[in-house]
Amino acid sequence: MNWWDDALHRATVEVLLAGALAGLVGVQVVLRRLSFFTMALTHATFPGVVAASIIGVNIMIGGIAAGGIIALGVAALSRRRGQNAAAATGVLLSAGFALGTGLVATQSGFSRDLSSFLVGSILTVGPADLVGTLAVLIVVATVLLVCRRPLTFTGFDRTGARSAGFATGVWDVVLLLTIEIVVVTIVPAVGTILALALIVAPAAAARAWSTRLGVLTALAVVFGAASGLGGLYLSLRWNIAAGASITLTATALLAASLILSRLIGGIRRPPAFYALTGEATKDLGPEVLRYTRSG
Amino acid sequence: MSAALSYSAVSAGYHGTPVLTHVDLTLAGGQRLALVGPNGAGKSTLIKSILGLIPVLGGAATVLGRPPAQARPLIGYVPQTDSLDADFPVTAAQVVMMGRYRRIGWWRPTRAADRRAVRAALEQVGLADRAGKHFGTLSGGQRQRVLLARALAAEPRLLLLDEPFNGVDAVSQEAILGVLRTLSADGTAVVLSTHDLAVAAELADIVCLLNGRQWAAGSPEAVLTAENLRAAYGGHAIEVGHDRTVLVEP
Repeated sequence: MNWWDDALHRATVEVLLAGALAGLVGVQVVLRRLSFFTMALTHATFPGVVAASIIGVNIMIGGIAAGGIIALGVAALSRRRGQNAAAATGVLLSAGFALGTGLVATQSGFSRDLSSFLVGSILTVGPADLVGTLAVLIVVATVLLVCRRPLTFTGFDRTGARSAGFATGVWDVVLLLTIEIVVVTIVPAVGTILALALIVAPAAAARAWSTRLGVLTALAVVFGAASGLGGLYLSLRWNIAAGASITLTATALLAASLILSRLIGGIRRPPAFYALTGEATKDLGPEVLRYTRSG
Repeated sequence: MSAALSYSAVSAGYHGTPVLTHVDLTLAGGQRLALVGPNGAGKSTLIKSILGLIPVLGGAATVLGRPPAQARPLIGYVPQTDSLDADFPVTAAQVVMMGRYRRIGWWRPTRAADRRAVRAALEQVGLADRAGKHFGTLSGGQRQRVLLARALAAEPRLLLLDEPFNGVDAVSQEAILGVLRTLSADGTAVVLSTHDLAVAAELADIVCLLNGRQWAAGSPEAVLTAENLRAAYGGHAIEVGHDRTVLVEP
């Protein structure tokens, strides 16, 4: 029997890849305060996936299409003066999810697939899924590496980046679409509702330990993969849904990082925490995309 | 050689609505221009119009002999520090290196010349020993100097500074003033906006008094008169004594 024929082996590789991928892009999500946008994306892929499965095309294509609409919509909204992009994102989040639920209700015998999409189905991944996740990991790592300067400059100092000749709107779209691809890739494994924690928590945990972009990106990748692996182990050990145990592991890693880094005299205190909580109430994601247009 | 800045009856603003009108300015290479006026007077608008980030709605504007947006490669821009994300994980040296990105391109590796320019710029603002420090851990004045170093690393012919002395300690202010004097002595034109009339009077060759429109422009002695300031600032200008000393409430 081939090593890859074992569903558990495939699941192990998938959680490692998905965790690393989530940690990698999570750094950008946390630094740019795009958690809320990412949350909207995870929910917006849902109607796309349902629609795709009704029509009978690959559900990834449905997810990519629906997420792409949201990503470009948010990018466009954030360019408009006076638009409350956060409010619009919130409405899109709920509306997308409601649309998906409505579509599901029109179909009989759909509820099992629905629940697996909400909390993920890591044990059903096939070899093709693994190749897909690996390919996305390579592409995303390449994009983030090659585009690190414009992405960093735009995130750090938007007006400065524009005055230095960077088309910040274009780089926003590059970043949002990169996040979208990652969301669509990892949602089938860990679920619509739970994907956000796997993206944000490892990066927020890494921020507690370093202020170097390279170091904290590497840490986030390790934390993400460790969350996946640890969560999968706990899921088998105590027979709980893998998506849930992966999310709880990532959350525990974040909590431990925040506490330990403070005890040891680590570097950052509030920002890492805000990354997860503060912005959801105060400074919502797309706010950072809005141009500074003060007179 | 063309003027660093040539504005004739310029108005600028957003979405077709002018925020600032009647701007007439000429600045030669090596001259220092201070923009003064109350909050919301249009100082930042004027600076952004020089960068071509805000459209010129009327009049004629050229920057270094070109339309504003096309002059951007020759301009160094120092934004207000509070417009940045100080939590972003970048070191002082990395911030200064951003000034070289236009030369390097957005993906090519840095060269020895770029690293030398970064080191020289940090030395010029007196922060060579802070190169490896996280930007967010620096003081307000040090952050401003790092941003100045970033603009210097781009080797600009025109330097724009938006409120460079806001929240800046005396040491940093002196360091910045020293750099600006050296730069203009070397032929670089300098434009800065400031609330501090004393700094404007001390540093600038030309002072431009703004409040929605240009009220006066010329030498500090000619512009910073009690009469002009009272006109531009409304009731907030107070004359003290007879020696032209005028305090302005913010």
